[in-house]
Amino acid sequence: MAGRHVLVTGVSSYLGSEIARGLAADPAVEHVLGLDERPPRERLREVEFVEADIRGGELRELLPRSGVDTVIHNKIVRRPGPRLSPRAAHEINVIGTLELLAACERAAGVGAIVIRGSAGIYGAEPDAPQFFGEELSRLYPLRTRFQRDVGEIENLFEAFARRNRDVICTMLRYQPAIGPSLNTQITQYLSPPVVPTPLGFDPRIQLVHEYDAVGATLAAVHRPVRGAVNVAGPGTIGLSRLVRRAGRTSLPVPAPLFDTATATAQRFGGPRLSPDLRRLLRYGRAVDITRLTEEVGFRPRFSTPDAVEDWVRAKGGRRLVSAVGELLPGR
Amino acid sequence: MSDSPRPPGETATVLRPAVALLRGLRSGLARGVGPLEALAGAGASRPGEVRDALGAAIARLEGNYSEDEWGFDEDFADAVLPLLELMYERWWRVNAVGVANVPAHGRALLVANHAGVLPWDATMIATAIMREHPLPRPTRFLVLRWAFELPWLSVAVRRLGGVVASPYNAVRLLEEDELVAVFPEGARGIGKAWSERYRLQRFGRGGFVEIALRTGAPIVPVAVVGSEEIYPKIADAAPLARLIGAPFFPITPTFPALGPLGAIPLPSRWRIEFGEPIETAGYGPDAADDRRLVLELAERVRSEIQERLLTGVFQRGSPFV
Repeated sequence: MAGRHVLVTGVSSYLGSEIARGLAADPAVEHVLGLDERPPRERLREVEFVEADIRGGELRELLPRSGVDTVIHNKIVRRPGPRLSPRAAHEINVIGTLELLAACERAAGVGAIVIRGSAGIYGAEPDAPQFFGEELSRLYPLRTRFQRDVGEIENLFEAFARRNRDVICTMLRYQPAIGPSLNTQITQYLSPPVVPTPLGFDPRIQLVHEYDAVGATLAAVHRPVRGAVNVAGPGTIGLSRLVRRAGRTSLPVPAPLFDTATATAQRFGGPRLSPDLRRLLRYGRAVDITRLTEEVGFRPRFSTPDAVEDWVRAKGGRRLVSAVGELLPGR
Repeated sequence: MSDSPRPPGETATVLRPAVALLRGLRSGLARGVGPLEALAGAGASRPGEVRDALGAAIARLEGNYSEDEWGFDEDFADAVLPLLELMYERWWRVNAVGVANVPAHGRALLVANHAGVLPWDATMIATAIMREHPLPRPTRFLVLRWAFELPWLSVAVRRLGGVVASPYNAVRLLEEDELVAVFPEGARGIGKAWSERYRLQRFGRGGFVEIALRTGAPIVPVAVVGSEEIYPKIADAAPLARLIGAPFFPITPTFPALGPLGAIPLPSRWRIEFGEPIETAGYGPDAADDRRLVLELAERVRSEIQERLLTGVFQRGSPFV
């Protein structure tokens, strides 16, 4: 598999940049093409950057010409922020994926597509199995907007995989990521000195370290498998223990008032909690990662508690050195 | 700890470490260190016992304790064990028979009758194995789904080793070679009326047998006598149950008349009998799809538990004294 040409969408996000760097450092990869609406904060060496909106039709022109054989789809918005309306997030997620897959359909050279999706599709339910296997994605109705987005992305991807049997389609279902360099909902939730928690609930939370988040995608590029693969750090951590390890004080709020309380806190400058995260904080979720370790051959370096410890140690926002390549199988 | 009344002069001696601790804490805070460090510093100069207790409390507050991936918290279980042992020994005066039938290692599925509104029977089975088994081991138990929607109860159940009653959980636990307790009667068992006590309800569709066959785990039938009397249910307020989403709303002589006090179980006398293990490994995992075998085995387990229940009630004698 010498001289692969890889396209990475959403390359300007932290994980997107790290994935592109990891690929650029890989001798088996000849050329890395990065796509995003805005350039990455630091220029990525040996990565060709294309500034384009994934929702626009440019990809359909670009992709067949570029000679790309592997596509990594990293442009999935996990939470609408202050500058991104829920509607725009939905469009990026669903229309963006649709455009990307349409472009792949035209480009004859594409042999593998890896989507960095979300384990949010499983939901967070009181009576859920304590470890979701990949086959259990439709056990519960999709309750939130983001869940429906992910559901739609998976449907589109499955339909694409059925029509194009020669393309290896991998859906990576990521648990929320944590790490010193990341700014995610979880890290924002844990940043104020007092953290609201649902009174009387202590769910099991499962996270993936940023290092492993990058490594899992790179591993899936090296050993592509068909279908869905869960990505998470092994083990779980109780919410109360998580808050304590983070050195924060929890403020228990009765569960029926939790949504109102966090919305009020947000108005006064508190972190924004998506409906997905609010459900996660009440019921928790963990996934089974047998497929990741056995079939993809990727063993996360950080368990969930270790990932939390690492974040706690280096909250100052250090840069993660991108040396993930060493961890890859077969090297 | 002694029960005898303390001579008047001793109070001061007992309080002395506490007072000294508070002084240490105050001076620590005055020096401007954080409350946790101040507490640790104050505790470090105190006698061993206090220091250890403080160290443990601080470790807990800092989140320095371990849970396994299921949320089972061994420290919590250890902390609660004395309370459960008290219930076991004094309150219900449990007589455990045949505990040695529980395999000392490897996977096994305990199948028991279910009664009493709260899962006390699960905790007593676990306590019996912790106390009376030659090689004590923790028991994981499958708990009815709606317990996990309730605040506090869900946390306590999870930390004690309870998981949601779902076949996925049971199979995974058994594959990890754990000891798992199931109550195939489910809500039908704990919600049944006083007049139906010690009559086993339907055993679902034999899902527990499928699980045992799939994982090759031996089935140990368990008959619990006494749990039926802890909350004698004389009526069921079904509309109220629908309102709060519970499978039933029990009305007992003490609940809801006495409010939260009604949740205190009556002190009946218990007898827990563990039967001989029924091996399932010989059938092979594919036998789980053989409906006839599954139903036959389920019926065999059910009738064995029913038989032991009836003789057990007789052998226990009077339910309360």
